[in-house]
Amino acid sequence: MLLALLMCYAGFTALCLSTDRHHGELLHRKPTSKRRVGLRLAGWLLLTVSIWPAVRASGWSQGLVEWCAVLMLSALLLVLLLPYRPRLALSLAGLSLLASPVAAFALS
Amino acid sequence: MKEGFRQAMAWLHTWAGLIFGWLLFAIFLTGTLAYFKDEITHWMQPEVQAHPLDDGRSLAVAQNYLQQQAPTAARWFITLPTQRDPGLSVMWQDKVEPGKRGTFIQKVLDPVSGQPVQARDSKGGEFFYRFHFQLQMPYPWGRWLSTIAAMVMFVALITGIITHKKIFKDFFTFRPRKGQRSWLDGHNAVGVLVLPFHLMITYSSLVIFMSMVMPAPIMASYGDDSRAFFKELFPNTDNAPALGQSGQLLPLLPMYQQAREQWAGGHVGRVAVNNPGDVNASVNVFRASSDSVVHDFGSTVSFNGTTGELLRVSGEPSLPSVIGGSFYGLHMGHFAGPVLRWLYFICGLAGTAMIGTGLVIWLGKRQLKHAKSAAMPFELRLVEVLNIASMAGLMIAIAAFFWANRLLPVSFAARSDWEVQAFFVAWGLSLLHAMLRRGRRGWVEQLSIGALLFVAIPLLNAMTTPQHLGVSLMNGDWAMAGFDLTCLASGVFLAWAAWKMQRRTASQPKAERARGLTLKQEAG
Repeated sequence: MLLALLMCYAGFTALCLSTDRHHGELLHRKPTSKRRVGLRLAGWLLLTVSIWPAVRASGWSQGLVEWCAVLMLSALLLVLLLPYRPRLALSLAGLSLLASPVAAFALS
Repeated sequence: MKEGFRQAMAWLHTWAGLIFGWLLFAIFLTGTLAYFKDEITHWMQPEVQAHPLDDGRSLAVAQNYLQQQAPTAARWFITLPTQRDPGLSVMWQDKVEPGKRGTFIQKVLDPVSGQPVQARDSKGGEFFYRFHFQLQMPYPWGRWLSTIAAMVMFVALITGIITHKKIFKDFFTFRPRKGQRSWLDGHNAVGVLVLPFHLMITYSSLVIFMSMVMPAPIMASYGDDSRAFFKELFPNTDNAPALGQSGQLLPLLPMYQQAREQWAGGHVGRVAVNNPGDVNASVNVFRASSDSVVHDFGSTVSFNGTTGELLRVSGEPSLPSVIGGSFYGLHMGHFAGPVLRWLYFICGLAGTAMIGTGLVIWLGKRQLKHAKSAAMPFELRLVEVLNIASMAGLMIAIAAFFWANRLLPVSFAARSDWEVQAFFVAWGLSLLHAMLRRGRRGWVEQLSIGALLFVAIPLLNAMTTPQHLGVSLMNGDWAMAGFDLTCLASGVFLAWAAWKMQRRTASQPKAERARGLTLKQEAG
């Protein structure tokens, strides 16, 4: 469940950064259109691919339930962190990207 | 045309949400607590000690006890201890003439010593579970009311989605410290981000009560004989009748092991023995509901009790039964391990928060119009009183329920009923208090009382039982420790909420009110 959580959190952060408003708030500049598309793609990709570790770890039925739970909770966590600790929210996303390969290694 | 439609939906969302909001808040909060039903029961019956699990030992102990206490019973039921519920529960039914039902006697045994545990009489977590769909009303009225509330919830969810103009644009938006705007942001955030859970839980609750809500399909296929429908849904285990000759029941453990082999290592929840003292004794081993997401209404392996011969393995459930069972299973979350169970709990809290913020928004929006006049119109005052009593008051009532569990003497007659009384008396008092106190003052006082009651629960537990936090953490009794810690956290949260309220009462800048007003109009 950990790897799915890390990937979902990073994915949602990427999607969040792909909007003008949040990109401006977090990084203090406007994203180029190329960057916006890249972030959006990466976000959706991470969210979609995160199904795989969840299902692999606990089978289809339980895995999908866990994936849904992790999906909702990571988004909730991000949205609650953003206004209070924006830097922490960003660094957590970076950290989860870094930790993902480790978690993937532990899973396989 | 489009705006007209959206406005109509907004109207429906507003009023359906208001009328059923208070009830839905209570249903959601108690339902959320019911995810930890077993853990709450464990805390409320601290006499039942937690031991490392060993099904073989538990079965032997239970069989031995029943053999001595009820050798001539018609039926035995043995429910094995789990990580969540440490008690070994045995129940038997007296033998009576056919056509009558013998009385049931239930005991909780210590799975190691085999002695019955003199646990205090308490409803435990079962109270919250029952309340969340029966509402403490006589059958079937509570079920009807909660089902209607579920339908209204479903309507409120759908109309809420339609009303929300910018689901994707505002997906990540939460702007705190901005008065009404923050409440609306929060309402939208917990609503949208946890929407899959809200839809699942509301829709599945309707599926669970489907035979009550929509009996037409059953009546069409089965006529007036609705029993036939249930018979097909819950196939009876046709066990051989007693012959009247005494027989020797074999040890249950080998049958338990065979059953587990049939389920590829699945877990056993319950063992039932029919006519244990008869030559025709039969043993049914039931699978634990924690094994799969799809709730299975009867995965059973049956044995002959005197020869040990495997008689029958229940077949695969049909597709409709799997679909119904998966809604049932998803709603109940029996399959969830500790982490997923906490996620369920958080989702439930998010749902509760969504309803609560909605109620606050309804009032806040209308209060602004009367900010200048001294007295509030009656209907707004009514909503305010109900808001306070249904939210802060419910928290106090829950705490009072736990306090009563520890303070009422163990030997008190009808003890478990008095615990429930304490819950409702506290709730009633909070309603009275909300009527007497003005607005925010009522909020602050009730939230503070709730905070005090919850923070003190670990202390109370330490003073009245030997299982304080130090002991339960050392022993790895996570249900007990988790309960204490969660109460502590709830107390801290309520204190924070009270402090926030207090601060806003002290300094409510005029400018913020004015800004709130314009923002509100824009938000519609």
